[in-house]
Amino acid sequence: MGRIERLQSSYQSLDESFEIGKEMYRGQQYSQIYFARLHLMRTLLYSLVPLWKPNSPVCTVLGLEEGKECVIVGTLFKHMKLKPCILDEYSKERSVVPLVKPHNFVNQDDYLDLEDESGRVKLGGNIIVPSVYVTGIVVAIYGKETGAGDFLVHEVLEAGLPPQIEFPIKSREDRYVVLVSGISVGSSRSNPLQFQLLVDHITGHLGDEKEQSIASQIVRVVIAGNSVEMPRGLLNGQNLASKDLSRMAEPVKELDILLNQIAAALPLDIMPGPCDPANFALPQQALHRCLFPGSSVYNTFRSCTNPHCFELDGIRFLGTSGQNVDDLDKYSEAKDKLDFMERTLRWRHLAPTAPNTLGCYPYTDRDPFFIESCPHVYFVGNQDKYDTRVIKGSEGQSVRLVCVPKFSETGVAVMLNLRDLECHALSFGTQFSP
Amino acid sequence: MSQIETLSLIHEIESLISDQLQVVSYKWLSRNYQISSDEAKRLLHEFVEKHEGGLEVVYALSGWLKSTHRSYHIRLVTGPKLAEAQHDFDGNCSVQVYSVQPSIPKDPAVLWNAEFIQAEELSKQPSSVDNCLRDNRFCGISNTFVRRNVDGQPAVSATPQIKSVVGLGSTKSNVVQPPPKNIAHNSIAKVDLKSQNVVKDFKSESNGTGNAVVHENINKPTAEKEKSLLLPTGKKKVQADKNGSATGGSLASFWGRPSAKPKPCSVPAENSNTISNPSEATENAQTCANEAEADSDDDNQGVPLRRSSNRKRRVVFDLSDEDEDVVNLASPEVPSKQLSQDSRQNDKNLLEKEPLNFDLPVEIKPLVKEERVEKKVFQPPREDLSVITKCTTAGKSSTEKLHSSAPEICVKKDSVKMAAPDSTKRRKVMKTRIDERGREVTDVFWEGEEIEAKKADMVTAKKTDTVAKKADNNGSTNAVNSAPATKKPPATGKGGSKKALNSKDPKQGNLLSFFKKV
Repeated sequence: MGRIERLQSSYQSLDESFEIGKEMYRGQQYSQIYFARLHLMRTLLYSLVPLWKPNSPVCTVLGLEEGKECVIVGTLFKHMKLKPCILDEYSKERSVVPLVKPHNFVNQDDYLDLEDESGRVKLGGNIIVPSVYVTGIVVAIYGKETGAGDFLVHEVLEAGLPPQIEFPIKSREDRYVVLVSGISVGSSRSNPLQFQLLVDHITGHLGDEKEQSIASQIVRVVIAGNSVEMPRGLLNGQNLASKDLSRMAEPVKELDILLNQIAAALPLDIMPGPCDPANFALPQQALHRCLFPGSSVYNTFRSCTNPHCFELDGIRFLGTSGQNVDDLDKYSEAKDKLDFMERTLRWRHLAPTAPNTLGCYPYTDRDPFFIESCPHVYFVGNQDKYDTRVIKGSEGQSVRLVCVPKFSETGVAVMLNLRDLECHALSFGTQFSP
Repeated sequence: MSQIETLSLIHEIESLISDQLQVVSYKWLSRNYQISSDEAKRLLHEFVEKHEGGLEVVYALSGWLKSTHRSYHIRLVTGPKLAEAQHDFDGNCSVQVYSVQPSIPKDPAVLWNAEFIQAEELSKQPSSVDNCLRDNRFCGISNTFVRRNVDGQPAVSATPQIKSVVGLGSTKSNVVQPPPKNIAHNSIAKVDLKSQNVVKDFKSESNGTGNAVVHENINKPTAEKEKSLLLPTGKKKVQADKNGSATGGSLASFWGRPSAKPKPCSVPAENSNTISNPSEATENAQTCANEAEADSDDDNQGVPLRRSSNRKRRVVFDLSDEDEDVVNLASPEVPSKQLSQDSRQNDKNLLEKEPLNFDLPVEIKPLVKEERVEKKVFQPPREDLSVITKCTTAGKSSTEKLHSSAPEICVKKDSVKMAAPDSTKRRKVMKTRIDERGREVTDVFWEGEEIEAKKADMVTAKKTDTVAKKADNNGSTNAVNSAPATKKPPATGKGGSKKALNSKDPKQGNLLSFFKKV
């Protein structure tokens, strides 16, 4: 029938560290994950400190001497006046100010503490700007203790970008990965026609031969969260009538049919997001296959965790559905979302605010959000607009950062070329006469 | 297509539009008349050319946009706007007829309705039918790699090798023949129930995709999933899964329920979905644990259940009883507030589940290990209330009580404390010291018994720590660290003798020991 043959790429999932199946919950709280994080990163920083400040000793917090310049390594803790505290709900007198401000809790009075195993010390000085940092990052600080008991910061050392595997220089042909997020099937905002156009374009129904040949170069689709929006009005704590139950399941069924169309054509990865029927705490576990009876029978359908890490043709991808960056946005400031993404890479930690303000599983012996190997592509879903940038590391690492916008609001998906990591937007619109 | 066929189709389209006032999109046309999408678009184009009035046309424009960010744009426009829209594109854009209809609807989504209904119909067909939705036969791009498994195995397989040597072998490890995961500390029952409810109705709603033929073809994927959604059955199910359909069939007949879904499918994903919940609110835990108890009680007594979904759940419970998972599930979640009601129920449950423990020695092994660790928390029995009282987490204090009322359940594998019968009088002595790593180590020893060292994983001098928090960690890490710390090998075999049943423990601690300082 003269159909074009679709290109294939080799795929390897690296999500094992994000799967919770083997973890045991024994009622533990979060000190252990912090300890694991500190231990992990401190070992790393100790190896970097001699190159950075070869002549300065490394001290513990309790071992600080006034006036002596040294290096201390520990976890940052940011005191924020406006950060909502559960105890406020129980306080006897409530102020007129509402309990929680929805957006940003940064205040000019915020200050940082550095905490290690022995103790904590307040960080002072102008070098370290609290609005850039958040609780949970492990850094090395060079400075000295002042008379007031603060630690005056001269310099800050972050872990930096992790080592990166070499970018495979393979073929000259274009292969594309489509990144999309925030489809929100079932929400009033989303236009199903738009997503259907995306599906038709990717699968090769729409478009002339030239367009279809571009579409045949798409080797994978990655859906980065918020694929479905369950009707919230039904969830009021009471038992659901059967007709309500079927109404609740409608969006997922619709999504299944749409994913069926994609899975029948090319490999598909679907990640859970904040609004999806998955667990709340990071790492979110893969959406259950039973939600997708039609799609999950395909060998191309893959339900993944959030965060999601995989290798495609030797190129390493790392991505989340947005929770890590959105949380950073609440507790710190930056020029744009790409800045937050860059910071997480330089801090070598995907979600430093977990478990402080971001729900997280209480790991006992490891911290899976520690980034061991630098990805080539780092994407974050459910953002307000499409944006992309390349950042460079001190050892020649190069990362393409991608903010994937919410499709239901923008109609924009992202096409990434595996040959050179160039991106372009794939947008859909309907323009009808009013 | 021959001329005649084309003409007849065009006539049909015409009647659809004018008489039935339907939207005819190219997709709908292709699926309805079994022609390829390109063919359908061509047909629509011809139709539009032949008919001038009485209809509205929607065109699909696609091309590169004139904008700073490189962007490939696809837009649907109506006839009058066509020329204007083409200006937005940089260079040529391809124009194709998307649909024809009698009038343009206000909401663009209406265009999509007809083809979605069609898609729904197609998806509801029995899973074994390979229709145009499922094999994507009418698109312009073919993909030989895609395979659809009708017989229910999760279909992800090794990816194709494309001249690159990137660890193809290791992809096998990621195959979703899921590695059996220990689902020991499992899901909150309520979450399970809730999701069950949703799925159950989901299943009942959609007549197709396997439900209809579930009785004949026992290897339906949907059937599996239904069952798998239910309580964790962990390894047993995985084993069954791996053994293939034969086992599934026999299991189904074993339960003798017509609607029983055979071939339990391992479901690590789902279980892990709900796993993180335990770490959240204890409120949830309370109600859920209650529900778990209530339901399991129901199950065990065979009382007709409130929710239809529980019928299936009962089946699973029987299976899962053979695992230790459920035991683990009950114990840590039970909150202190509802001890009095729950403990009795727990007793019963644990009691009832305990005997079934022996049925699957193979499976029990790793699970027993967890249980052993779990049970550590119950430990130092009667007298050692003071240690346990330091733990402020709900789970711990309740487990202690639990233990006291159901000591027979404690199949202590390496029971340092449990081995000795309660008749001997012992005095407990505790000493705290700081070891070289800065951790607080509490040594507990009994006169006449050996030392049990418990380490707190706590950083001692952290200013933020409260005593309570320390206690938490003490308690929580009891389980973690005491397993390696124990010295005695398992006193009893894993399937073997249980501890002697003690209905009332004479050495049950004094309440005032709760306030005793260590």
